[in-house]
Amino acid sequence: MARSTFVYVIYIRTTPQKLWSALTDGEFMKQYWFGNHCDSQWTVGSSWKNVTGDGQVYDTGEVLEAEPPRRLVIRWQHNNRPELEAEGASRCAMELEPSGTAVKLTITHSIERESSKFIEAVSVGWPKVLSNLKSLLETGSVVLHDPYPGTGR
Amino acid sequence: MTATDRSHFVYVSFIRTTPAKLWQALTDPEFIRQYWFGMTIECGWTKGSPWKLVKPDGHTADIGELLEIDPPRRMVIRWHNEWKPELKAEGPSRCTVEVEPMGSAVKLTITHEIDRPESRLITAVSGGWPLVVSNLKSLLETGQVAVVER
Repeated sequence: MARSTFVYVIYIRTTPQKLWSALTDGEFMKQYWFGNHCDSQWTVGSSWKNVTGDGQVYDTGEVLEAEPPRRLVIRWQHNNRPELEAEGASRCAMELEPSGTAVKLTITHSIERESSKFIEAVSVGWPKVLSNLKSLLETGSVVLHDPYPGTGR
Repeated sequence: MTATDRSHFVYVSFIRTTPAKLWQALTDPEFIRQYWFGMTIECGWTKGSPWKLVKPDGHTADIGELLEIDPPRRMVIRWHNEWKPELKAEGPSRCTVEVEPMGSAVKLTITHEIDRPESRLITAVSGGWPLVVSNLKSLLETGQVAVVER
């Protein structure tokens, strides 16, 4: 099948409601997404965009499914880097499931093409954003302030 | 060998700690028990040491050998399931653990691979690593794990 997919699972000590709010509240998002935030009404058919701290629109799309606090699916079209934009629209599903004292968050980001450069790019980005989200919810502060920190060398 | 003859799983997490503390967390049997649901690792942590993942009841889940070790940066484990016949039959896998400083944090990369397509072992570890690493990150950052019981 001609598809590229990135899956990331993370367990966060929080509640589904708090995690849903963290995934949809623009001001909260800026704290863990390196100044970026996603702007949407978060209802099916709403437009969606991912905006950088300085106002550039990186990605645009639409909410395909919204079932708070369990499931959110976004049609996600990149708009910043031409070679990624040319790949067309991807689909990003976010699933929240209670798991004992924590919530299991599964991100499945896929596109209908092989060897996607866009999926390669999000595979690097999601672990940073989600590590920050987990730290922010569990400790009150993020783990990375800069998406490309120096290695100290 | 082509990419389709191989199965692999990669998991990256950024943890607010130091490489030395993370290395300690990855190799101290009592600490491991706290974030690995009562399981622990027995190993001498020198190249060629036998390596063993032990269940809370003392049964061996996986066995292997430490193929490479470079504290506090990198270790490679030959990892052979011992517990489930269908996973054991797949033969040994290889697990690489990499620790890199990243600003005020440490990047932990787990790469678990086997030279066969559609591996059930890799499917199994793809479910396990996110639980274990999420717990490890919480334990190092907050003093308690994220998921108390599976």
